[in-house]
Amino acid sequence: MLAGTAIYAIINSVILALMAIGFNLTFGISGVANFAYGAFYVLSAYATWMMINLLGFSYPVSVLLSILITALLGAAMYRFVLMRVRGQALSEVIATFGIGLAVLELFRYFGFVGFEYNLPVFADYSFFIGGAFVDMQRLLIVAIGVVLVLGLWVFTHHTSLGLAFRGIAQDERTALTFGINPDKIAMLAVAMGAGLAAVAATVIIPLGTISPEEGYDVLIKALAVCIIGGLGSTGGVILASFVIGFAERFTDSYIGSHWTMIVSLAAILIVLAVKPSGFFGKQKELEERI
Amino acid sequence: MKDPKRLFGTLAAILLAGVFLVSPCFGAEPIVIGVPTSTGFLEGKECLRSVEMAVEEINAKGGVMVDGEKRQFTVASLDIRDAAPGVPVPEALLGLEKIILDKKPAALVVGPFRSEALMAGMDIISKYKVPMIGTIAMSPASEAKIKENPEKYKYIFRTCLNAKYLVKYLVGTMSFINKEFGFKRVYILNQDVAWARATAKILTDVYFSKAGWEIVEHEAFPTGTGDFSSALMKARAKKAQVILPIFDMPQSGTLVKQWNTMKVPSLLAGFISPLAGPGAWKTFDQKIAGAVNCNFEMGSAISSAKMPLSVAFEKAYDARWGKPLEAGHGPAPSYEAVYILAEAIERAGSIEPDAIVAELKKTERNGIIGHIKFDEGHQAIFDMDPATSAVAAVFQWNADGSRTIVFPPALAEGKIQLPEGLKSAK
Repeated sequence: MLAGTAIYAIINSVILALMAIGFNLTFGISGVANFAYGAFYVLSAYATWMMINLLGFSYPVSVLLSILITALLGAAMYRFVLMRVRGQALSEVIATFGIGLAVLELFRYFGFVGFEYNLPVFADYSFFIGGAFVDMQRLLIVAIGVVLVLGLWVFTHHTSLGLAFRGIAQDERTALTFGINPDKIAMLAVAMGAGLAAVAATVIIPLGTISPEEGYDVLIKALAVCIIGGLGSTGGVILASFVIGFAERFTDSYIGSHWTMIVSLAAILIVLAVKPSGFFGKQKELEERI
Repeated sequence: MKDPKRLFGTLAAILLAGVFLVSPCFGAEPIVIGVPTSTGFLEGKECLRSVEMAVEEINAKGGVMVDGEKRQFTVASLDIRDAAPGVPVPEALLGLEKIILDKKPAALVVGPFRSEALMAGMDIISKYKVPMIGTIAMSPASEAKIKENPEKYKYIFRTCLNAKYLVKYLVGTMSFINKEFGFKRVYILNQDVAWARATAKILTDVYFSKAGWEIVEHEAFPTGTGDFSSALMKARAKKAQVILPIFDMPQSGTLVKQWNTMKVPSLLAGFISPLAGPGAWKTFDQKIAGAVNCNFEMGSAISSAKMPLSVAFEKAYDARWGKPLEAGHGPAPSYEAVYILAEAIERAGSIEPDAIVAELKKTERNGIIGHIKFDEGHQAIFDMDPATSAVAAVFQWNADGSRTIVFPPALAEGKIQLPEGLKSAK
């Protein structure tokens, strides 16, 4: 039971990290709190579903196209809406939240409700590990989560674009003197965050179904993880995901599922009381955030 | 035409003819049926479509006879959003009042999802004296309110299953499982919402504790929970023979998938809304075989050859809307509500609210959900025999994606099959 709970806690933690990493990347680089993040997550899932079921595209093609489309929509949102209000935090939040709300409610308005909307699993096996059966999709989520985090680290530390990202994150004015266009980088950061939301949706949605409510749920989870971890810190996001992920599953197993939310919220409150900026939050300091 | 008198006479004749020709159109103004519900949710969407279907059928036959004149029905719907998380009851009530004032419906059907919205809305319905046949909200508290003040709340009726009858069906299923297999160890999982908590508690109080069952664990899960691994590991560790789920959230399908992939040797039998319709087989990657589910009304995403009207309804819905019914609660009683209303109007010969209500009380109809008759709380009576009452249906998913009705005995098409690794205790 203990080993099984630990395995499912790790899986839960990776799911939370995947849900939050795109939001965190966008905020860490561009300073934009993208409240349309949950809508991008749901939009990409519906886009994949439509390409598979209505257009007859293959699953891999649909996934790649939907990630690309979601990223492009993220870029468009920055270029046509956010660029005009950049630097005004409240306006950014209102604008992105409004866009997210409109997208999610449009799906509901056009009848995208019901249980038939879901995505197929990558592979359909179960393994007996640590005294419990674990399905292949969940193991793949862990693998993809690890690859994604490592890939992001390599990207931000060993590519010129990644270094430009970090330059903007550290000091926008200084980066400008090096010829780095902050608007272009911020646009790419929003696009990449939206694309990461699409990647998360692709791997997580097959465990359940697609619904507009998922958008709100994902946004709240991403916000909780990012705030505990410290907005903008990738290390913080990973640590916070594991704190919440383990707290949830161990509460489920050893205290009771109706306490899960209370224990998770208590964990959030304790962390914020001890360290108001989150585990690795440095948003008030001119330090590296990613 | 040079003669002015002749010209005037001709014009007058044309005018008179026009008045006579047009007047029947004024008299045949359509009767509005209001559908205030959460149309953004599956049950609301399919209930509205079922209402539209019934209206189209009635209109195709000329409409309803009111005071010697055939009149057509027309549907006016409004999304009152009460099913959406975070939407306060007053907002839903505003929608209810708006549709009554704007569309002037002769009656309302379907109505709110949440019982809190229905309870609060009963005063609005009484104020404007609009008969309503509800088909979603399930709390018996509305019946108690009607019984307390029958004159004031006489306008409210319900054709769907209520929580009391759901418990009756779940008790019947558990009792049947106990009798067939000798199982006595149950793990109860319910959504942490009022109706599901109440259903689980009543089941425990009126049945499990008295019938000698051991409740190995009882857990409530917050709405939105998407991982049930801990509960399923506990069910395995505590050797639960039956897992009884009570959920109506979309994520609850995950419970069944995990039950399958984690190979838990327990019979999963209860209510999980996403399992109701035929599409669940594809939605949940064909991983739901063995699950036993209760659909709240016959005809709502399940039909029986023993009740041909339910089969005809499913086929007609599929043909009309291009996809099968998926909601196990609401569509069939919504369709019936329109026919019940039409019959009441014809018997009353009027669309006066009090006259309609007086006739609604006398309803005796053999419909797709069985024999429909209201009790003194204006609730359609549900029992186990479709010849004498309305019925629900408990079915099991088979390994080939088909469904077999296993309860009530009058409609059973087969026996419950136990999942791999679970043997009968008899």
